[in-house]
Amino acid sequence: MRSIALVAQAVFKESVRDRVPYSMVAFAVLIIAASYLISQLTAGQDMKILKDLGLAAIAVFGLLIAVFIGINLVSKEVERRSVFAVLAKPLSRSQFILGKYFGLALTLVVNLSVMTLAFYAVLLYVDLTTDALLKAAWPAPALDPRLVIAVVLIVAELMLVTAIALFFSTFSSPLLSALLTLGVWVAGHFNADLRNFEAVLDVRPVALLARAVYYLLPNLAPFNIRAEVVHGVPVPASQVALTLAYAAVYITILLLGAIAVFRRRDFK
Amino acid sequence: MAAIETEDLSKDFLVGFWRPRPYRALDRLTLSVGEGEVFGFLGPNGAGKSTTLKLLMQLLYPTGGTARILGRPVGDRSVKQRTGFLPENPYFYDHLTAEELLSYFARLFGLRGADARRRVSSVLDDVGIGSERRLRLRQYSKGMIQRVGLAQALLNEPDVVFLDEPMSGLDPLGRRHVRQIMLRLRDRGCTVFFSSHILSDAEALCSRVAILAQGRLVASGHLSEILAFELRGWELVVSHLSDEARAAIAPRVRSITALARGRFTIELPAEESPDRFLHELGSRGAQVVSLNPLRETLEDYFVQSVGAAESRQTGL
Amino acid sequence: MKPRNRGLIVAVMLLFAASVGIQAVRDRDRVPFEPPGGMLWIQSGTAMKRMALGFDTLVADLYWIRAVVYYGGQRLRDRSERSYELLYPMLDLVTTLDPRFKVAYRFGAIFLTEGYPDGPGRPDQAIALLENGLRRDGERWEYMHDIGFIYYWWLRDYTKAAEWFERGGRAPGGPPWLAPLAATTLAQGGDRQSSRTMWRQLFENADSDWIRSSAERRLLQLDAMDALDQLNVIAARYAAREGRVAQSWPALVQGERLRGIPLDPAGVPYVINPVTGRVGLAEDSPLWPLPEEPQALRPVPEPPS
Repeated sequence: MRSIALVAQAVFKESVRDRVPYSMVAFAVLIIAASYLISQLTAGQDMKILKDLGLAAIAVFGLLIAVFIGINLVSKEVERRSVFAVLAKPLSRSQFILGKYFGLALTLVVNLSVMTLAFYAVLLYVDLTTDALLKAAWPAPALDPRLVIAVVLIVAELMLVTAIALFFSTFSSPLLSALLTLGVWVAGHFNADLRNFEAVLDVRPVALLARAVYYLLPNLAPFNIRAEVVHGVPVPASQVALTLAYAAVYITILLLGAIAVFRRRDFK
Repeated sequence: MAAIETEDLSKDFLVGFWRPRPYRALDRLTLSVGEGEVFGFLGPNGAGKSTTLKLLMQLLYPTGGTARILGRPVGDRSVKQRTGFLPENPYFYDHLTAEELLSYFARLFGLRGADARRRVSSVLDDVGIGSERRLRLRQYSKGMIQRVGLAQALLNEPDVVFLDEPMSGLDPLGRRHVRQIMLRLRDRGCTVFFSSHILSDAEALCSRVAILAQGRLVASGHLSEILAFELRGWELVVSHLSDEARAAIAPRVRSITALARGRFTIELPAEESPDRFLHELGSRGAQVVSLNPLRETLEDYFVQSVGAAESRQTGL
Repeated sequence: MKPRNRGLIVAVMLLFAASVGIQAVRDRDRVPFEPPGGMLWIQSGTAMKRMALGFDTLVADLYWIRAVVYYGGQRLRDRSERSYELLYPMLDLVTTLDPRFKVAYRFGAIFLTEGYPDGPGRPDQAIALLENGLRRDGERWEYMHDIGFIYYWWLRDYTKAAEWFERGGRAPGGPPWLAPLAATTLAQGGDRQSSRTMWRQLFENADSDWIRSSAERRLLQLDAMDALDQLNVIAARYAAREGRVAQSWPALVQGERLRGIPLDPAGVPYVINPVTGRVGLAEDSPLWPLPEEPQALRPVPEPPS
């Protein structure tokens, strides 16, 4: 356990000093600029647009962090051979993999927390500077606590994406891992459409195949409750809980897969 | 008990994309290194030195054979606890400082708090990294990284150290420094196993060497056994050598080479007595600058054995 | 020796089973939320063309798939919740991006004409889509035929229909049966026999399974309509004889010595309206609902003899 924590800590330290601060700064600038512009340009619906934009920015920046740092976790270490010195220490390969994963998960949580705080700060500002008449037209209050649930699901989705990146990076080059991870991410979001295909498609084997793919590929659509939250539509707690449970199970699958590949690997 | 022992250790790599065929990088290596020895693992580039070290560090899994360190199978946690490893051309994390990197590794070895800090500081002193230890590693030169690599291999005061090309990337001063560190390790009773293709290092440090060529062990033994220190001849440097004196001795020497400022190097065969020769040259007005015996070097031996292995391979 | 992974593989398989279970439980209650006003953000084909960066046809394919999924997805919902308002904008986007996307014009027109709740019931939009096709993709007889067909079947404008069939027959590659079809359409305006001819042509010449099966369904519906006419003659005879309408099948089967409860061509029993005594198609039949015919065109039931 201690070894895993030590690896995680090193990953966190390294990635915080890497590109992550820049993405956070970019995020903050974007959201503040956007909120300022929007409050100048629109009337009535600016709160909805602001929330759409904020949540989308959190999701996109988080994805960038997850993919581009996630793939570096293992494949870059193997490519640059820094892994040699580490694996010679009293540390098993599975501890190494888990430490890498938790280190990045920690980086993600810290980053998304900072972004969420910035987001709430902007929302608070807009809330304070808008008069009550306009506020009545908002579908949900500015400082809606449900936004946190949306962010929690974004974090869960990104942890899943990180696990995907980690899995690919145990056996392929950084560039290929990035492409594969983005590919799975896109597929994961279109995955839910596969279920509707059955309604249009009469061919039984194809429908069965679509169903199998639907269950095996990571299904990322349920992690996206941004539209519901922005429009103030309730999301049942059971849905959120099941989606989180799904994330936990799928992440475990990917980590076990990554360990299975990595512990048998030869480092040329 | 031997510190390092391998038996028929072999490794095949698959080469070729469409129809991968096994390529033998290491062929049935059997080796034993005693405790406290400084062991030189020599061979030209691509001979399989790094492959062997990686097999010993379990970065590679062997195709066949076994390897043990301190009597236990490689990869064993207790073995890792007592060994140090410097990879070839090491690379660490760009954004950590030397101090942070080493304290991370020290804690992986189980050191904590003040112990870890003290240990890190002392190995950094040992390898000669001063105030730079607070800089991020991306600002380090190749030689400095090499020193950090050496430092991390020594963190746990290991009983066995594996060094892959420890001198590469170092300037002459750095090399001397590393040589001193290796001798200190030997004096402490630590087994040092290092690979190199620079023979003078091995000659200066090793008690025993093994020579590898094309994945096979071609020679091994004590340096004194390998090189019987046979006299191959004499090297004489003289000045004021007149033309007729030169003509007179020419048939009896192997070569005469002109140096700068009117000096000449004369190589005498081993059977020639240097005393008589000096006397004769003196009588012809020449002045002796120096006289050295020529003995067989590791390089000669290396060229011989590797050359033989290569010609066997190519069938010439 | 390399470590073995057998245990890990078993664990992964068990976890996959767990993940399928969790998904099944979650999907049972999950209703995908669609924000009001739809979510087709970019409706202008020209704007999209600029953003597609040269991958126009690929983006068109993606939107075509999206349109098919959208149409299918709406059909899966409860009848009261179905809305097809994005269908035409999507199809327009697809065909602007890829003006030669024949399937998108022809299938799209079928989707658009299908009456609510199985489709938006917008023959006007279907015709607009096909006319766009003629403008962008050249004088294709298929589009003309389809327009004529929409006039014939959905709008019952037999003059217009005949005009388009005629035009299709003259267009390059137009099949020889189109001109005679124009003639019958004009002469017999919407009788069941000419409808049958038309659907049969479509069935036999369809270049896709979907069109073929949809034509087959129409042909079966026409058969069902013929059968219903006969059954209603029988029901009327029963009512005239007994002085009251047959309220259920047993009464009619017994009174008229039928061989059993008659089934529609899809194998679902017909139903009797207990109040009017009229025989009709069951709502759970795949053929339901039957297309409506103008009253005047219905064959007059023969008086009971």
